[in-house]
Amino acid sequence: MLDLKHELKLDKTRDEKARMNFVSGLRAHVLNDMASGMRAVWDAEVEPAFRRSRGRRPKDGPEVHAAMKPNESFKFYSSLRVTTQDLVWQSVFPALERNRGALKEKAARLARGSRSRTSKARGTLTLQPGFDVPRSVSAIDVHLMAGNYDGEYEEGDLAAGSLYDNGLAVFSFGLMGQNLDDIGQSIAGFIKLKYPKFKPAKILDLGCTIGHNTGSWKDHFPEAEVHGIDVAAPCLRYAHARAQAQDRELHFHQMNAEALDFPDASFDVVFSSMFLHEVPRKGIEKILAEAHRVLKPGGLMLHMELPPNSQLSPYDAFYLDWDGAYNNEPFYKPFRDLKPEEICRRAGFAPDKYLQFVIPSVGWYGEKVWREAAERPPAVDSDKTGRLTDGILWYCFGAFK
Amino acid sequence: MRRTIRGGRPYFFDDPAVDKILNMVVVLGSEVWTLRERLAALEAIQIRQGSLASGDLDAHEFSPDDEARLAGERKEFIDSLFRVLQVQVEEVRTKVVKPKATRRQSSAARGRKTRR
Repeated sequence: MLDLKHELKLDKTRDEKARMNFVSGLRAHVLNDMASGMRAVWDAEVEPAFRRSRGRRPKDGPEVHAAMKPNESFKFYSSLRVTTQDLVWQSVFPALERNRGALKEKAARLARGSRSRTSKARGTLTLQPGFDVPRSVSAIDVHLMAGNYDGEYEEGDLAAGSLYDNGLAVFSFGLMGQNLDDIGQSIAGFIKLKYPKFKPAKILDLGCTIGHNTGSWKDHFPEAEVHGIDVAAPCLRYAHARAQAQDRELHFHQMNAEALDFPDASFDVVFSSMFLHEVPRKGIEKILAEAHRVLKPGGLMLHMELPPNSQLSPYDAFYLDWDGAYNNEPFYKPFRDLKPEEICRRAGFAPDKYLQFVIPSVGWYGEKVWREAAERPPAVDSDKTGRLTDGILWYCFGAFK
Repeated sequence: MRRTIRGGRPYFFDDPAVDKILNMVVVLGSEVWTLRERLAALEAIQIRQGSLASGDLDAHEFSPDDEARLAGERKEFIDSLFRVLQVQVEEVRTKVVKPKATRRQSSAARGRKTRR
């Protein structure tokens, strides 16, 4: 169930597979059953108690958080969620350690293949020796992943990319698709449906990590030149090998989205997924300004993200803020407290060109429902938007230039 | 590869020992599952190879000797699981059972004469 769909997948023992299966099942249990149980306790006990003592409903996420903290359902949900998160990565380490040599060899062979004139996919990888990785990445083990995206153990290392690829499969218990690209597939396809006359020639994916959602744009716009950037060298090395293994021509660059090394008006689409919430607030403003700069007139900026607190009920705001407090995601809440329409406007996009979508997961809902959403989009404020749960919906915001 | 995160993890119960024990229980759950999945693979292979028929394990009746042995092992397993609680019960029982002899002994230990 959790086997990756390309030749870089790790060779696992029976016991390693079993542990990954178990942790993945734990994830599903915590995010479905325990989350809905906690919500039931809030509705039946904690919220009425709040109203009795304050004479009003809670006004925001932090008030809900404070009320929930002493409650046993919150403690069990949170403690188990942290344990499970740690186990996601621990379940991958043994197989990864054993396979590191083979992984490096396969990646080197795939990279050589990309340079062959007969190759179907001639993707590229451009790294910057001595690149200055921002502290927001180099100083933290985001979502409890030891070593983070940029941790390197030897020259030419790509272990962090493999850790992420395999860990994400366990983490998302199938909801991101077997190729971990449900986000990209759902969104790139949705844009193609909604704007049939839009024919982007050049597409950029910011903070692409291992390129798992970058490839979807190439799938839906095969004539386009597709680029992905990230600050983390081991993830980019892995991304390049992975793209080659899947015969997709993608171009990866080590670059900081706050200072793009691309000319003005050179892209038709600037995209990102699950990226902005890992960036400090000041960086977000710069990233959107850079996106505006490199977009051609009529081009599209689109960011798939967690929905903003301004559009959620206090309880759902609290629920999504949880990672900011307990999952080593210190930039989560500052990002989600921003209003997307405002940051787009400040970046230079016209207010009437602002857009946001809630796109059903094509993997979960199937083609029919997903297509219908292009006509009648679901609401942002639902307990399925932007978080891993059965019936998942992907939130995006952005603007046309 | 480093497997421990920088900065440590958060705790939620008044006593962080509870979070830690819960963590241990979850890991144990994972190991129990791992054994089950391995057994499942073993059973599937043996059925495929013909040394075991599907349903054999469920239909198997232990001999009276095996039953008796297993019952004994089961009781030992359960007793050892709860032994830590049994320790407190034993302490209480021995205090109640110990008669005047105890008072005399402890008085002697304190170096005082008991009144008779």
